[in-house]
Amino acid sequence: MSKPSLIDIQHISYAYPASKGKKGETQPVAALREVNLQVRQGEYLVVLGHNGSGKSTLARHCNALLLPDDGRVLVSGLDTRDTSKQRTIRERVGIIFQNPDNQIIATVVEDDVAWALAVRGLPAAVIRERVDAAMAAVGITQLRQLPPHKLSGGQRQRVAIAGMLALRPQCIIADEATAMLDPLSRQEITLLLHQLNQEHGLTIIQVTHLLEEAALAQRVAVMEQGRIVLEGPPATIFADLERLRALKLAIPDPVELADRLRRAGMMLSPTAVTVEAIAEEIIP
Amino acid sequence: MSDAIIVARHLSHTYQSGPLQKAALIDVSLEIERGSCVAIIGFNGSGKTTLVQHFNGLLRPSEGTIIVDGIDVGAGNVDLRALRQRVGMLFQFPEGQLFGRTVFADISFGPRRMNLSRREIRTRVLEALEAVGLPHHEYAWRSPFDLSGGQMRRVALAGVLAMRPSILVLDEPTVGLDASGREEFYSYLGRIRREQGVTIVLVSHDMAEVSSLADQLFVMYEGRQVMEGSPRTIFAQGEQLRQWKLAPPPLSELLALLRRRGLAIPSDTFTLDEAFSVLQHSAQKSL
Repeated sequence: MSKPSLIDIQHISYAYPASKGKKGETQPVAALREVNLQVRQGEYLVVLGHNGSGKSTLARHCNALLLPDDGRVLVSGLDTRDTSKQRTIRERVGIIFQNPDNQIIATVVEDDVAWALAVRGLPAAVIRERVDAAMAAVGITQLRQLPPHKLSGGQRQRVAIAGMLALRPQCIIADEATAMLDPLSRQEITLLLHQLNQEHGLTIIQVTHLLEEAALAQRVAVMEQGRIVLEGPPATIFADLERLRALKLAIPDPVELADRLRRAGMMLSPTAVTVEAIAEEIIP
Repeated sequence: MSDAIIVARHLSHTYQSGPLQKAALIDVSLEIERGSCVAIIGFNGSGKTTLVQHFNGLLRPSEGTIIVDGIDVGAGNVDLRALRQRVGMLFQFPEGQLFGRTVFADISFGPRRMNLSRREIRTRVLEALEAVGLPHHEYAWRSPFDLSGGQMRRVALAGVLAMRPSILVLDEPTVGLDASGREEFYSYLGRIRREQGVTIVLVSHDMAEVSSLADQLFVMYEGRQVMEGSPRTIFAQGEQLRQWKLAPPPLSELLALLRRRGLAIPSDTFTLDEAFSVLQHSAQKSL
């Protein structure tokens, strides 16, 4: 049970330097305060929070894009402040962002997936093999020859994920990776992340403001004002809807409905947080 | 009896690039009531943006006609300037179009080009700021680029409102905003509609999101209008929506699952309250 921590975040605090004030004075803005979080190898963790709660700042500490002012972050034992280890850390932990267009470089899908490998000077045969495997894993093999601008938002996000997978990381962080997508593509990308977690044993950290994306996670951490204020399995987190509302998170209608039925005396397990599970509880 | 502000009849639009033709809009006929709020829903490439670009003459029909507030958009001598003052359009990520040094300068850009008196311009800017919930004494002289994403988007909306349009077209107005930013934006939109009687046309691929605001939905798929109706009747379609690559709202999905499990739920159950009372009732019966 006690798998080692892949990412070990120890009491980190971070303030963005020099945010512009009204009259040009600069004052640091505390974005993370004393955050402690351990992510196990193979875990599926969702970091929830509204805009400005610090969740993206936390994500960026996990692969040395940002370095803590206080405390430290270890990625499989490597300290992110050690500049000689940062490249290794970033190969182990990759981040995909909200807008896939910001990380697509090449003019054809497969070239884009191969990009990071080519830059590292890997042999052509290895690149071929890894690119094919990565494209197959995210289901874009049939799009390999297309230019990225011909793809939908969801497909482009898949290309970004494949590019990351080709590096064979241990962990992928999806930082609001579904925020710009339509609802169906949103569900598909979340499903894909779960699939990568289960079939390839990849550690996933999904950063989101949508409660419904947290329903299938193994563990959820909720952030507010730079702190982790709630942590536990989805069933525990979803049990206190008032608290979630106070944290400016929108409650999905089915969860709200189940809560009201429960309070009206219906016997529904509080662990049912997905649409399917709730339906199963109402009519077994 | 009906008072339609936008009437499209057999509207088609074909994009021409070199020898290639692409039919983006195929034989669309619709009417939008004055003072109503409607939403045009569809997956990427369904033609929804192409359709609304006819509303202010950014595109002209290849075939068919479209009349907007009495103006025939397809006519050779159409007064585009007059048309565009009546039809305000807010594009996707409108905060990218802010340019003024101050919020006031940005919002007053449109009215200044309408040859209004300085006094009138000032009144309109202040009213527009008020309408989007940004008190002028606090915001008018700030740089728009120091505001949050949601506030910037509201400044862009104020810039359109200051032109006093009779129709407001908003293309994916809340993409990228979080839950509270989104709710805020919609609440201001609802207020503008109530207080100013503006006809609002929303373009979205998220029907759950717009349903609380819109009276009427038009569903587009591959250039055609495939369905029209109130949110209530359209959400009752369930699986059909998936064929058009739209996600039914989560609550409709739950009710569909329950029906499949044999529970009798009226097909027009729509709100959380309705679902609650139906389920509570059926549970009592089964006990």
